[in-house]
Amino acid sequence: MGNCMARLKLVAALSAAVCALSVSYAQGGTVWDGVYSSEQAERGEAVYKAACIACHGQDLGGNSNSPGLVGMGFMFLWEGRTLGAFFEQIREEMPTDRPGQLPAQDYVDVVAYIMQANSFPVGDNELPYDAEILDGIAIAPKP
Amino acid sequence: MIRSNAMCGGEFGKRELPRSILPSLSLTLSLIAPFASAQIESFSAVDDEMLNSPATGEWLSWRGTPAAWGYSPLDQINTENVDQLQLKWSFALDDTGAIQAAPLIHDGIMFIPSARGVIQALDAVTGDLLWEYRPAPPTEEFINSGAGTRAAVLPAGAFAGVGRGVQKNIALYGEMIYASTETASIRAIDARSGLLVWETQVADPTLGYFYTAGPIIANGTLVTGITGCDRYKDDVCFITGHDPATGEEKWRTSTVARPEDPGGDTWGDLPLRFRAGSDAWVAGSYDPQANLIYWGTAQAKPWARAVRGTDGDALYTNSTLALNPDNGEMAWYFQHIPGETQDMDEVFENILIDIDGRKSLFKMGKLGILWQLDRETGEFIKATDIGYQNIVNLDPITGQITYRDGMIPRIGEELNMCPSTSGVKSWRAMAYSPDTSAMYIPITLNCELATFGPTERQLGGGGAGPVRRVNYHHPQSDGNLGEILALDIPSGEVKWRYRSRAPFNTAALTTAGGLVFAGDWNRTMSALDADNGELLWQVRLATSNQGFPISYSVNGKQYIAMPVGTGGASWSGSLPRELAPELSRPRNGSSINVFALPD
Repeated sequence: MGNCMARLKLVAALSAAVCALSVSYAQGGTVWDGVYSSEQAERGEAVYKAACIACHGQDLGGNSNSPGLVGMGFMFLWEGRTLGAFFEQIREEMPTDRPGQLPAQDYVDVVAYIMQANSFPVGDNELPYDAEILDGIAIAPKP
Repeated sequence: MIRSNAMCGGEFGKRELPRSILPSLSLTLSLIAPFASAQIESFSAVDDEMLNSPATGEWLSWRGTPAAWGYSPLDQINTENVDQLQLKWSFALDDTGAIQAAPLIHDGIMFIPSARGVIQALDAVTGDLLWEYRPAPPTEEFINSGAGTRAAVLPAGAFAGVGRGVQKNIALYGEMIYASTETASIRAIDARSGLLVWETQVADPTLGYFYTAGPIIANGTLVTGITGCDRYKDDVCFITGHDPATGEEKWRTSTVARPEDPGGDTWGDLPLRFRAGSDAWVAGSYDPQANLIYWGTAQAKPWARAVRGTDGDALYTNSTLALNPDNGEMAWYFQHIPGETQDMDEVFENILIDIDGRKSLFKMGKLGILWQLDRETGEFIKATDIGYQNIVNLDPITGQITYRDGMIPRIGEELNMCPSTSGVKSWRAMAYSPDTSAMYIPITLNCELATFGPTERQLGGGGAGPVRRVNYHHPQSDGNLGEILALDIPSGEVKWRYRSRAPFNTAALTTAGGLVFAGDWNRTMSALDADNGELLWQVRLATSNQGFPISYSVNGKQYIAMPVGTGGASWSGSLPRELAPELSRPRNGSSINVFALPD
């Protein structure tokens, strides 16, 4: 019984936290708010090496056929848009030889890795696989 | 023809000590562990005369002959019977990378490059595997050397290396198969056994260098052009000549004018490290009478003038270079689009045709302008704009290009341009038939709203530069993405057009049987009447047609071979997905498919 109550409290707390997170993002969060965890970026790096590196390169700089995913080039392509839009494009079109065929979590993890590669700050929470939340996170210049 | 034996595994790959020009990278050579399943006994050595004038049923160069016509003199399969074609055999190719294969045929054997350095020898009649060369996974020693940071550190089986391991073509000479690799080396493989004889590291892959174009042989020299030259580094792109017996580098010719060289001022005051591009990513042609090779170069990088920091012509980008294969000296160059600024490549195949007694070279780049040059002097003869581009004006008398008002991109400002960066024409080589005096050109129809962005001007930076893109259908396309265009040579007048919803995704092949073969992204391989473009035969294959179809004969029987595969440039997948979303292709299925008439 006690365990059950504890679990319920935990669920309630997590729900509240997720709601708070959603509200926070919806109210104008950006990639500078610590929106992914280092563990998630580490998982994303493994995904990147297996599925993305061939075209975008080890340094994420891209080549003539594949856009760079870091630095000035990345910000030129994505500044002013949301992580949701970035995530959706990756999920729908990548990898080009098998678009949309990676596990869902892999896509969000690789977004976290790309955030880390762009020196956006790490946070305590993982970037969730939730379109609404991702849509509330703007890719913005450093405040 | 063959003798089975027990040769298998790495030790047989080290029959001779390999060579290396870059000592720090010599470790690569210990990685090679080819598989060899048989010894081909009936193979005859290939000499210069055979290469320059191949027997009717042979296909000894990537486009048939050194003149690169993509034409077969065989006529057993013709307009009257092509509808009876049957699949004779099919063989799966490596699926861990991109396929853009150009097979070769000699003594009834097909040698075919696959992805990731894999090469196979197949019985051209039955499809039986005779041998397979497959580089071994990298060792820890190699990984730790740093030489393979772009590729070798990846998990086994993962796609690795920029370009996904494309090797378009291989060369056949003497008793060797020659290949260039995704890690910027050249290999010689025994054509009888599939065993590695030597490997030479030509450039440092950690700087981004790699090959997608294979070598050619010209007057006994092995010639190949590097790519991956888009990042800023203290070096520039180049073409090299090698001793086929040893791999020793005989010469190296830069495809970029260095600051101290003639033409060096065409890059403004940019130092060497910021002179990027001019990649030589499509194999050249060779005229044995003139003893000149003709090799194209790609655009300058970054693509947009405003991003790369100079309005200059940027020699020798987007040019045709005529080089002496003995020493690499440049006999002449012709820059098709000086100061190109939108990723409109002119690197593609060079087709050598004698027209009205004039030794000519024909070429078409992404803008869809068919160029005719005097290949002995480089003099401009004629240019025909096929009318699908809105970027430049062409002076038909002088061949001079001028940009239309507002078509030189500025950073952050949207341009409405046709074609898109996919180009009207790309690596999918056109073919020439002397029977119809026509050029058959695989065309991609689409346009783009393009916004070019900045890059970091620092070592390791650069690249092509970011571009925001919105692709849309070409206003003249009727919703079609693909076209085979037949142009009369030399007038440039349109003979016919054949269109398809899906983009054509192979080179064209034309034959003395009055046929044109090509395949599209949507798995459909077609045979058209070379005279009028009438569709005569079609078949659906496993996945996208991709590569260089060929024709050959063995024991009096003619065959047509079509490679299919996945991978390729990003837009080759994104264009159909965006503009013809009802089309799809399997992610696997890379193979070579061989057709013939019923026995």
